[in-house]
Amino acid sequence: MEPTRNSHATLVDLLDRVLDKGLVINADLIISLAGVPLIGVNLRAALAGMETMLKYGMMKEWDERTRAWEREQRQKKVEPICTA
Amino acid sequence: MQHSDKTSTASTTGVVVAEEGKYLYCVADAGERVSLGRIGIEGHEVYTIPYRDICAVVHNCPAQPYQSDDQEVVKAWVTSHQKVVDAIWERWGTVLPLSFDTIIKGELEKSAEQNMKDWLKQEYERFKGKIEKLRGKAEYGVQVFWDPKLVAQNLTQTSPEIRNLDEEIRTKPKGLAYMYRQRLENLVKREIESKADECFKDFYGRIREHTDDIRVEKTKKVEPSLSMIMNLSCLVYRDTYSKLGEELDKINRMKGFSVRFTGPWPPYSFVGGA
Repeated sequence: MEPTRNSHATLVDLLDRVLDKGLVINADLIISLAGVPLIGVNLRAALAGMETMLKYGMMKEWDERTRAWEREQRQKKVEPICTA
Repeated sequence: MQHSDKTSTASTTGVVVAEEGKYLYCVADAGERVSLGRIGIEGHEVYTIPYRDICAVVHNCPAQPYQSDDQEVVKAWVTSHQKVVDAIWERWGTVLPLSFDTIIKGELEKSAEQNMKDWLKQEYERFKGKIEKLRGKAEYGVQVFWDPKLVAQNLTQTSPEIRNLDEEIRTKPKGLAYMYRQRLENLVKREIESKADECFKDFYGRIREHTDDIRVEKTKKVEPSLSMIMNLSCLVYRDTYSKLGEELDKINRMKGFSVRFTGPWPPYSFVGGA
């Protein structure tokens, strides 16, 4: 299967990245958005009806559990493995 | 406006205008000072501010965040941001992208450009480390969905516990049946979760083999008929993503499952943190 980056179909994927992620920078160097409604939030909601599953309750705990499990896995991964 | 006092103080003393800012797109693996032309947000000229062998990619702007209630305007801004990051990525191979609307400000005694240079200097080692880790790699999005109805149907056939309860309900009078149905719903929910758990761990292990790094993102409700059970950002060597694609094909072919595979994205999910 080939990855897609068609601009319409993947706009939400793009927004998830461009709006929430990226290099972290000291807060005292940048223009603060505190108190300003965060740009893009409404846009995203409108674009994709992207309420998280959490809203539905269904599988909420499950989602949190799997992510916790994954964090553990990652920690295990960095620990030295003893092969005695 | 509160701002105006400061502006006049700054300009009359002839130092630096505090309201000047640099909109920051990304940090790139190049030490040149070049203009990339008017490819920025709203056609601004994009150029680099180098420090040693890395640079910040910016345009000049007032020290105010971009804000609008007009979705089309915001969409255009975000798309421009992404296009600049893409262009830089193409040109220099490795980028550390910033999120939309990151604007470095100037201070009374220090220009935004100086602030930017000091920042690059101060973070140089950290940025170099990230650049090395990300060289030759790209981010891909992997989302796995399943059809909960189909899964529930399968479960009613395969789980003896569910089948028993289901049969019991049929023999109960109406009043009691309601209670039993609730029990059945809870049971199905539990079994679905445990099935999802099993799938998650299985897929995660298989996908991880073909990636350099993984971030597990929150799952989302995208379509009413499909549930997302997995939402990953995967860091992958750009020339080996097809291996990941093959693995995803296998999952995509499973009955009731589907996979979305997007990218290549600049490594937005892998530049945060230390």
